[in-house]
Amino acid sequence: MRELSYAEAIREALRQEMQRDERVFIIGEDVGVYGGAFGVTLGLVEEFGEERVIDTPISELGIAGAITGAALTGMRPVGEIMFMDFITLASEQLVNQAAKIRFMFGGKAKVPFVLRTPAGSGTGAAAQHSQSLENWFVHIPGLKVVMPSTPYDVKGLLLASIRDDNPIIFIEHKLLYKVKGAVPEEPYTIPLGTAEVKREGRDLTIVATSIMVKRSLEAAEQLAHEDIEVEVVDPRTLKPLDEETIIRSVMKTGRVLIVHEACKTGGYGGELAAIIAGSEAFDYLDAPIVRLAGRDIPIPYNRDLEYHAVPQVENIVEAARQLARGEV
Amino acid sequence: MLNSRQKRELLRQMYTIRAFEEKAEQLYTLGKIHGTMHLSIGMEASAVGAIAALRPDDLILSTHRGHGHCIAKGADLKLMMAEFMGKETGYCRGRGGSMHIADVEGGNLGANGVVGGGIPIAVGVGLSLKMQKRDQIILCFFGDGAANLGPFHEALNMAAIWKLPVVYVCENNQYAMSFSVKKAFAIERISDRAAAYGMPGVTVDGNDLMAVYQAVSQAVKRARAGEGPTLIENVTYRWRGHSKSDANRYRTREEIEAWKQKCPIKRFRTQLIEEGVLTEEEADQIEQEAYATIDAAVAFAEASPEPTLETIEEGVYV
Amino acid sequence: MAVPVIMPKLEMVQETATVIEWLKQEGEHVEKGEPLLVIETSKVTIEVESPASGILAGVRVGPGQVVPVTEVIAYVLQPGEELPEEVPPEATAILPPSAAPAAPPAPTPPAVSSGPPAPSVAATPVARRMAEAHGLDLSTIVGTGPRGEITRADVEAVLSAPSQPTAASRSEKVRATPAARRIARERKVDLSAVTGSGPRGRIQAADVLGAIPTPEAAPAPVATVVPLTGMRRTIAERMTTSYQTAPHITFTVRVDMSGFQEARKRLNARAEATGEARISATALIVKAVAWALKHHPWLNSTLRDEEIHLLPEINVGVAVALKDGLIVPVVHQADRKGVAKIAAEVRDLVVRAREGRLTPADITGGTFTVSNLGPFGIEQFTAIINPPQVAILAVGATQPEPVADEGGQIVVRPMMRMTLSVDHRVVDGATAARFLTDLRDVLEAPALLSW
Repeated sequence: MRELSYAEAIREALRQEMQRDERVFIIGEDVGVYGGAFGVTLGLVEEFGEERVIDTPISELGIAGAITGAALTGMRPVGEIMFMDFITLASEQLVNQAAKIRFMFGGKAKVPFVLRTPAGSGTGAAAQHSQSLENWFVHIPGLKVVMPSTPYDVKGLLLASIRDDNPIIFIEHKLLYKVKGAVPEEPYTIPLGTAEVKREGRDLTIVATSIMVKRSLEAAEQLAHEDIEVEVVDPRTLKPLDEETIIRSVMKTGRVLIVHEACKTGGYGGELAAIIAGSEAFDYLDAPIVRLAGRDIPIPYNRDLEYHAVPQVENIVEAARQLARGEV
Repeated sequence: MLNSRQKRELLRQMYTIRAFEEKAEQLYTLGKIHGTMHLSIGMEASAVGAIAALRPDDLILSTHRGHGHCIAKGADLKLMMAEFMGKETGYCRGRGGSMHIADVEGGNLGANGVVGGGIPIAVGVGLSLKMQKRDQIILCFFGDGAANLGPFHEALNMAAIWKLPVVYVCENNQYAMSFSVKKAFAIERISDRAAAYGMPGVTVDGNDLMAVYQAVSQAVKRARAGEGPTLIENVTYRWRGHSKSDANRYRTREEIEAWKQKCPIKRFRTQLIEEGVLTEEEADQIEQEAYATIDAAVAFAEASPEPTLETIEEGVYV
Repeated sequence: MAVPVIMPKLEMVQETATVIEWLKQEGEHVEKGEPLLVIETSKVTIEVESPASGILAGVRVGPGQVVPVTEVIAYVLQPGEELPEEVPPEATAILPPSAAPAAPPAPTPPAVSSGPPAPSVAATPVARRMAEAHGLDLSTIVGTGPRGEITRADVEAVLSAPSQPTAASRSEKVRATPAARRIARERKVDLSAVTGSGPRGRIQAADVLGAIPTPEAAPAPVATVVPLTGMRRTIAERMTTSYQTAPHITFTVRVDMSGFQEARKRLNARAEATGEARISATALIVKAVAWALKHHPWLNSTLRDEEIHLLPEINVGVAVALKDGLIVPVVHQADRKGVAKIAAEVRDLVVRAREGRLTPADITGGTFTVSNLGPFGIEQFTAIINPPQVAILAVGATQPEPVADEGGQIVVRPMMRMTLSVDHRVVDGATAARFLTDLRDVLEAPALLSW
């Protein structure tokens, strides 16, 4: 099958959906001729015009308000926040307005928007341009949180997200933008709330999100040479969460390692661990649930320090090996 | 210009708002409405005058002090009162209450519990209307306090650069909770800020219904013509405290009394009688009818069912 | 008259049966023939029917209890009738199941008592209350108060002493993963006896699996573990016994099934015309086997102690595969039944076997077994004798095959291989051979049978 990069897959999804549905438009900082800070929307303004690929002033809250109001009155906007760190500036509209309008109005309105934003470290951009803040939004009823890890998934999930009638925080990873993978040309959707077993194995389950899926798969490959068969599960959407696939996997392997880039304390891994421990998988756990996550520090600038701030392949290999060998 | 029938109708609306809020206040005291509530008694001309300038299919975004906006936009008092009492029959099925009341079908996109919360949403609504070429406009109310928030700046700028069909109406009632506009602004008129965004700014006597109506009409015309937003400042005064827990320690009894002498309803009534639009008796009758409709709304609300617990999670997601 | 309900003996080799559940409650009216309770033998789970109409009374055994066969387990009384005297009154209530057989007895340290403290022990009220709350037996505590009275301090000393753990606190100290605990629960393994290989001695799933006693090495920890219980255990035990005690010899013949197929076709044509059910190959084979057994009674016998008993009835068992095992319902007196009746019986037995609705009579009294794996496409196999029978016939698939005809010409015929296993203690080779060739002949020319 034809290969696209993660960024190209996003762009293709946007293009196809804008061709299909004239209510869909893009709005964000430098999304027009500049093509977005990471070039994701390159070429779209030429194709769809400035009316549907809208450059904004540096006004994150304004962008959030614009997509909220537009979605409330019949459009299906796709907003972009240039770095997830800046979503802090937009949070009032996302948390207090978009997430709550439907409920607050007794179910009599809907706010179907997607807010795309790149998260994650590894670019040397340091503390204010490298955060993974997904769990803040997982915590807000009314929002959905999507976190794709592959070019195939990002296209299918973005199309599903745009067609969904709820406000969605769509979290991309900067280091994934250039990763290539097979992507079908025709439009397709991946239902929100369906996890995927990215690799099957019998010895332990790794539940990983975003770029950690890629790193976990690399770790699993290495461990296979040691006769440790790792199963890698990617939730793909954090909310809604496909608990069943995760629980089933843990029941099979009896051991689970949770890997995410966001800081460990208060991170999504805690939620996953609690879900697993509280499920029927509890009786199948043959070792403590282990979390491997970002250190509880801001992302440092220094290359080496930055590298060691979040889980890398070798950390995953080591943690998985210990867990599989019953050493935890 | 407004004809006699329309003017009588606007007087009726103001009385209805007054009657509704007085009743709501009473019910709150009786414990039949809980939470909090923000009364706009004394500010009726701002709501009624502004909305009178709209077409029925135009949209509004309201504020936490939004009872007047909601009624002036044509809300059914029964559904409104039911919402205040948290009943399933209320506009928001009892999920929103006074502070989040919305009548989406009627064009009221919601009151807002966050000061300034609606100002950026108006950008999106305006953008949406413009993109869909819908010929409608969005009127966004907010208070003097909201004008000092960051979102005010971001949103007014965006509305202006894209020439969106938005009318921003700042209801300057002199206080952001307890903080006086005299202390909160270094400028005389909030509408002066419009210049910073390249849009017209107008300050009017917010207790003069006709003045509000005329200013907003101008802004609506401009918005509908694709010329962009306008910032209007209605200078008015709230007679009651900020919310139900306000002891009025930041202002004097004399000041409140002075503003009560400038009651917008009395003023418009006198004006209409002087113009010969109606007689004293007719005006009295309008007033009495307004109070009577509220009683019917209360009866409906009281007889309405509470939401059931089984439905508690409904409406979080589509 | 009080009619006793007896734990039925259903098999020739059966000493006990386990009560699974009572379908009728004590005091309930029952009709004769109505199912009273469900029992499990080493072979089957079946319903026991009421021997009479009346009121169920004097139920002596409860679910889970293993009861010797022929023992009285209840009575059916007429209205106003008393229980027979030999039933002790306290035994009339359903007893709690005796501790599940495989469950290890709970460790009961001497200081633990399930009953209230004996009142004869001198103790202060506070000490008495505390002891009661903690399940301590006061008689095991040495009193240090005036005249040896047990005081609060004495009880506290016992409670804090590490050498006196209660059953509860002791089990809490076992470090084990949830998976290990679950497996221990399911497989009835005492975790306190398992050595943990995990960090800080934590017991992991593999440790528990390794602690389950099996004749072989512990299974690989990743295997799907199916406990050897019920039917599976029975099959395992019986087949092992049979294979180890009965010296098997086997004989195979090839059968030209042309005539058999022709006959079956004819019979089915007739059945179709009359609207009767079709005749299965198995039914026809059972009929032929019955015929052959009649002529070779040594194959229809059993070995009891030092005697060979040639059995008066020819009861042919038919092996039926189930989801988790197999069962052998019996066509009784097959030699006296027409093939249509045999076919109907076999069909009915197979259906009920798969639905678990066989009655004791259905599975008892077999004197010879037919196992037909032809439908599975098996060409030829040997079967293990179903004790206490002395022979079993393994029927393979009928397949076209080149053979030499009477004139020495190569022709293609539908051929079937069948293998007879016999217990050499009873049956010699020549006897077996004669039986088998006669059987072959009758299968090749079914007209020999008097349908």
